[in-house]
Amino acid sequence: MGVRALTQEWMDAYKAAIQADPEYKDIAKNWEGSVALVVLPDPAKGIPETVYLFQDYWHGDVGEFVVCDKDKAESAKFVMTGEYARWKQIARKELDATKALLQGKLKMKGDLPYVVRNIKTVNKVIDILGAFETIWPDEV
Amino acid sequence: MTEGMVVNNAQDVPFSYILAELLESNLEQKPHKLRTFNKIYGVVAIDLKDIEAIVTLIFSGGRVRIEQGIIGKPDIIIKTDSDKVIGLNSITIKFGLPYYFDEAGMTVIRQILSGELKIEGMLLHPVILTRLTKIMSVM
Repeated sequence: MGVRALTQEWMDAYKAAIQADPEYKDIAKNWEGSVALVVLPDPAKGIPETVYLFQDYWHGDVGEFVVCDKDKAESAKFVMTGEYARWKQIARKELDATKALLQGKLKMKGDLPYVVRNIKTVNKVIDILGAFETIWPDEV
Repeated sequence: MTEGMVVNNAQDVPFSYILAELLESNLEQKPHKLRTFNKIYGVVAIDLKDIEAIVTLIFSGGRVRIEQGIIGKPDIIIKTDSDKVIGLNSITIKFGLPYYFDEAGMTVIRQILSGELKIEGMLLHPVILTRLTKIMSVM
């Protein structure tokens, strides 16, 4: 039984999956800073309002993982914004996150050279995003 | 500090924004790269087939213009996929030159040998390629 995407329960499951990953700690040892994922509304797919997700990462450890408000999301060191359908495609590995960024399907605010320097960490975290069972709002 | 140095005229190509931001941020964060940037004269095209994005970078000593498509006759044309182009930014610079004997460098060499990454003009214009690698490297 999966958890419903974009809820606090889902964030908890995501955090647990990252913590349980045997490679994550080593790959992310140089990463410091919070990341916000912003999911743009898509009422037809069960997302009536923008969803803001805040995640805190620090040298291989994971801190706060919460569904939050706009202000908190915008306080993150990196903010990644995309349509619901794109995030779902990324989680399902139907769309590569780097490709989505270069195609403008995802937008990122933050220190881009830092992200490129730590692209393995980003790829790992995104890889884990699709590693646990998720119930998507448009499939309920 | 880098105002006006990077002019993006390829606004219909989202990749061009990433390229411009990467270049501007790199020059701001590592001002020593400006010396190299100021010495680049040449035209470099980047063709990302998988996302159908082609841009041309026209360097004119301290300034670069990014244009959509292939403009004129580029000195260098880089042809690869979007997931591999990011790897080019991870090449380490040692003693002022790109270093190909670590993981990132070896990956690029492997991609060139396998044809996943094609760099037309690399033998004719090694100085432009070296300088481009230096200013684009985030390492």
